[in-house]
Amino acid sequence: MSEAEGAPEVVPDHEPEPSLATTGLTKAFGGVTALDSATVTFHHGKVNALIGPNGSGKTTFFNCVTGMIRPDAGRVAYRGRDLTGRPSHRIARAGIGRSFQLCRVFPRMTVLDNLLAAVRPRSLAGQLARAGGREETERARGWLARMGIEHLERAEARQLSWGQQKLLELAGVLMSEPELILLDEPAGGVNPALIDRICDLVRELNAEGRTFLIVEHNMDMVMSLSDHVVVFDCGRPIAQGPPSLIQSDERVLGAYLGV
Amino acid sequence: MRRDSDTLSSVPFPRRGLLHLGVLLAAVAVAVSFPSMAPSPYEITVGIAILNYAVLSTSWNFVGGFTGYISLGHGAFAGLGAYGTGLLVVEAELPPFVALFVAGALVAVLAVPVGYAALRVRGASFVIVSIALVLVLLLVFQSWASFTGGSRGLVVPRPFPGMLRAEHHRTFYFLFLALLATALLVWWAIDRSRFGMGLKAIREDEDKAQSLGTPTYTYKLVVFVVSAAFTALAGGLYALWFGDLDPVFQFSILSGSYMVLMALLGGVRHLYGPLLGAVAVGYALEYAKVEYGDTPLHLVVAGLLLGVVVTFMPDGVIPAVGALLGRFRDSGGTSIREVTAAELRGRREQSEGTEVRDGERSGRSA
Repeated sequence: MSEAEGAPEVVPDHEPEPSLATTGLTKAFGGVTALDSATVTFHHGKVNALIGPNGSGKTTFFNCVTGMIRPDAGRVAYRGRDLTGRPSHRIARAGIGRSFQLCRVFPRMTVLDNLLAAVRPRSLAGQLARAGGREETERARGWLARMGIEHLERAEARQLSWGQQKLLELAGVLMSEPELILLDEPAGGVNPALIDRICDLVRELNAEGRTFLIVEHNMDMVMSLSDHVVVFDCGRPIAQGPPSLIQSDERVLGAYLGV
Repeated sequence: MRRDSDTLSSVPFPRRGLLHLGVLLAAVAVAVSFPSMAPSPYEITVGIAILNYAVLSTSWNFVGGFTGYISLGHGAFAGLGAYGTGLLVVEAELPPFVALFVAGALVAVLAVPVGYAALRVRGASFVIVSIALVLVLLLVFQSWASFTGGSRGLVVPRPFPGMLRAEHHRTFYFLFLALLATALLVWWAIDRSRFGMGLKAIREDEDKAQSLGTPTYTYKLVVFVVSAAFTALAGGLYALWFGDLDPVFQFSILSGSYMVLMALLGGVRHLYGPLLGAVAVGYALEYAKVEYGDTPLHLVVAGLLLGVVVTFMPDGVIPAVGALLGRFRDSGGTSIREVTAAELRGRREQSEGTEVRDGERSGRSA
């Protein structure tokens, strides 16, 4: 599992701080084992990538760690805090935001309201306060401007193009102020110019201190963007390490190319 | 770019606010003066029936409108409120209006476990659970005759014994009006709050809302309890006004269906949607009952209305009319095509549309 860390010149001089970590995470749907005792650690403050062939358990892994489904066994921890089996809104409040493989926005809300709905009031008074106050509207407009979709703030989300919806979903996740952002195929169905744009955004946001975990099939994107790559096959990690090593790992080539 | 869209969006708002206020004041004036203009007490009873429908439908809309959970069994809470009030007056000998609020509170407490169970399922399953609720209660209240009076009914003494019939109706007209105003005010307050934004996110995509940190289950349960409490108050007030309860009418699938029909007709996303629907459907029902007596023709009318709404105005009358008016106005609104700010500006400069020039002029003067 950790054989990929063999080459001494790429081992960091200090152990990276753990971000999201799972031990023995297992999930079966009927007779199909989607996750088979997966033990993985991602690095805090880095861009992490999770790759693997279709059906290797990546999305199930996302759903288990974000509380969308309950794992059958194993533990999920974020920065040392146990989150196993917590409902997804608790996990969001612990600082983990996510996007969905088939991008999900609130279709019949305006673009601006999509962001305002991601505000998380902490007190009872905060819940009853008017939505869309000056401060949070400014913050929402800031994110929309950053995504380049601020001119659409009064349009309904369902009227946006696929690419714009992807950007809107990311803006919504950012509005909820996560430390760790899980992106499920951010480049799926997106044109090359927008992929570059999304890559730039991930780099900028990472430089500002946000940790990323990205599931992606676009290998150019994964290799250029990430600091740490984990490869899944048959519901468990088969390799992990920096992209340069992963690219030449025989088991990875085998899993992807069937060699 | 930002400035442009700001200017465009800020122009209609003060005007829309004034229009809103004007319509509201006119509606309040009509509603308040209606009893003194009514030619006979009968018209006032029609007014009360419509107000009762409006409160019920607005109460239903706390759940249906915000969260999108369609309850066909909301009649259960109205029936419980009515029987609760009646029984507290008859059996516990509480003063009528104390009984009303105690019954409302009891139904709110009961709505916690009911909602806890029912809100675990979504979509069609929730609809079926809500129907089961009202049917179970119908059986209970029919069978438990020693307590509820069973099919013989329950007679609730009048709260103002010495009052003349006309004055009785007039008083209850204003009580129903006050309850409606309260329900609308609470709906409005939730609508503009962050809590309301969370509820609307549940309606759009519940799992997505939860993944953004909204405690969806708690939110649904809270608004379900609020909805049940207002429904029960409407039922209780009806019991005090009408004075005679029969389980078949109190725990009827029909009353819940009316609430849904009225809210859908007016528009569930709009504060006044259920009220508008209640006026239209309530009037149509009363008209059919007067013209065709005891025939079930009023049900045919209700069915036809439902058909017309879902076919031609799936979002209700208010959004349909709003969209129609929107065609004449706001045509300088936001384009959703992928265009650059420079392209947009160029297009706007070319355009000869007066509304755009108006927008720019007020932008400059601002």
